[in-house]
Amino acid sequence: MKHLACQNITVRFGGVTACKGISLGIEEGKVSGLIGANGAGKTTLFNVLTRFQEYESGNVYFRGDPIDDKKPHDMASVGVVRTFQNINLFKGQTTLNNILIGAHRKLGNPLANLLSFPSARRNERSLVKRAIEIAELFGLETYLDTAVGNLPYGSQKRVELARALASDPEIVLLDEPVAGCNDEETNDLKESIKKLNRELGITFFLVEHDMSMIMDSCDYIYAINFGENLAEGTPAQIQKNPEVIKAYLGEE
Amino acid sequence: MNYSKNKNAPLTYRKNRLEVSRLKNVYARNSWVLVSTFVALLLLLPVFPFMKGWMAAQGALILIYVIAAQGQAVLTGYTGLVSMGHGGFLAIGAYTSALLTHHFGVDLVVGIIAGAIVTGMFGCLLALVFLRLSGAFMAVGTLGFAFFIGTIVNNIPLFQGRTGISLPANRVFGIEIADYGFYYVSVVLLSMVLLFMYSLTRSGVGRALMALRDAENAAQSSGVNRWSFRTIGFTVSASITGIAGVLSAHYVNYVSSEVYADIWYSADILMASVIGGSAMLMGPLIGGTFVVMVPFFLERMADFSYIFKGVALILVLWIAPLGLAELIGRPFAKRRARKLAELRNGER
Repeated sequence: MKHLACQNITVRFGGVTACKGISLGIEEGKVSGLIGANGAGKTTLFNVLTRFQEYESGNVYFRGDPIDDKKPHDMASVGVVRTFQNINLFKGQTTLNNILIGAHRKLGNPLANLLSFPSARRNERSLVKRAIEIAELFGLETYLDTAVGNLPYGSQKRVELARALASDPEIVLLDEPVAGCNDEETNDLKESIKKLNRELGITFFLVEHDMSMIMDSCDYIYAINFGENLAEGTPAQIQKNPEVIKAYLGEE
Repeated sequence: MNYSKNKNAPLTYRKNRLEVSRLKNVYARNSWVLVSTFVALLLLLPVFPFMKGWMAAQGALILIYVIAAQGQAVLTGYTGLVSMGHGGFLAIGAYTSALLTHHFGVDLVVGIIAGAIVTGMFGCLLALVFLRLSGAFMAVGTLGFAFFIGTIVNNIPLFQGRTGISLPANRVFGIEIADYGFYYVSVVLLSMVLLFMYSLTRSGVGRALMALRDAENAAQSSGVNRWSFRTIGFTVSASITGIAGVLSAHYVNYVSSEVYADIWYSADILMASVIGGSAMLMGPLIGGTFVVMVPFFLERMADFSYIFKGVALILVLWIAPLGLAELIGRPFAKRRARKLAELRNGER
């Protein structure tokens, strides 16, 4: 039983079919990846998995249970979080606040929070403490009180990941996490993902264009082309797959 | 882990864990020192001899607008939803308390609590209807709400339309109060609202509202239910403006649809909030004062006050879109950022 899976997903935007009966499954505790050319339907599929996108037919399953009727904001409490391509941080807020919002699902009763009950205050203190710990994990403790809009790009990427981690997720889906990153930043992120996967057992799913990153990080890869499944397998298998080579990898 | 004892932790959160929570917000900035000073000033103002007559006339009015603008700020500044109909909430608060006081002779305190609750309920109801609309459509919808309320109070016999309802003398906890008493009650209420706003920006709910304002998709992926929390924003916003409404009725001990069906109050409240700065604690304080003082200073040309306010609104949106409070606070923010950087560098 896969941690997060989709079966036969079809998504149509007017006349364009972005996804045509795609199925994939994310194995628990592993790092999985999704590759495909631009326009292959990766982002659409990604949004389907995280319930930001409606689909015509098909099902999405979390540990075998259908989650088709879940809204995007329900996913965090299910244990599924996502990051955004080109980062989507709360620009005017501090790093600490950004991470704290990530921990929103642990907020408890909004009314108690609003009226500042002692239970809410205790909860807040523990949330702040935890947020600081997470920030330290990513080396962001010096930026805690800075507005994230002022941080360098690499740090913003780390804040995005830290925010995703704040909700104590079971599975983290990353949408082109190293887009626009230089080699050093890419390596940092690669190491972070590896460390989190191994030490905390978090399942990861990456959509990426950077081939070296995907091949290095992932245990299992899905390839899609023109909205349909193309191939799946370990990085080694994918690299040798003639279909994939023909459609995507070219010379490599 | 005790961060206060961790020698390697940066100064900003080693020294005092409260320091972190105080610095948490950059754009929903607190100027609690400034605000406390302002409140203290308000309390002491009547002591000055030249203030006496003026206080009775304008003082409480400024406070009423400030509270109403704070209510507007919760929705427009912190949740990011434009409402052009807060005059409707003002009316609901006013008439709730007016009817209770007129028919049952209740205490002003009861009127305030009832006004807050009833207006809050209307805010919740409004949210259910208008959250389905986006941006500009919601703005127009709320304007429609203001007209709707105005028409109701004008035509339904219960509210006595233009004839109005006159209210008995104000009583707080049984004690009758006059002008100065009312002024101080308003100051106390404003302080409570300010305290609430201050804690709101530091709370999880406030964070969720601002998250929805800044990046809705990111907020949702973090688990923020946009319907629930925007409804909370509406309810709180309405409630606070409702309190201002109650005060506005008891200020003159009279309610009439001639006043409350006038949609210019919605415009005034919106302008007060936007000109002052809707995402800052100090904003509505400046904005509310501005909106009341303009006609006061224009004296014989008071009819032109809306031209003046309109121009001011355009100028503010052009030059300092985050409001006058933000503009005034910029040098202080720069200094604070510099000090933080020094602290950080000093640690290395």
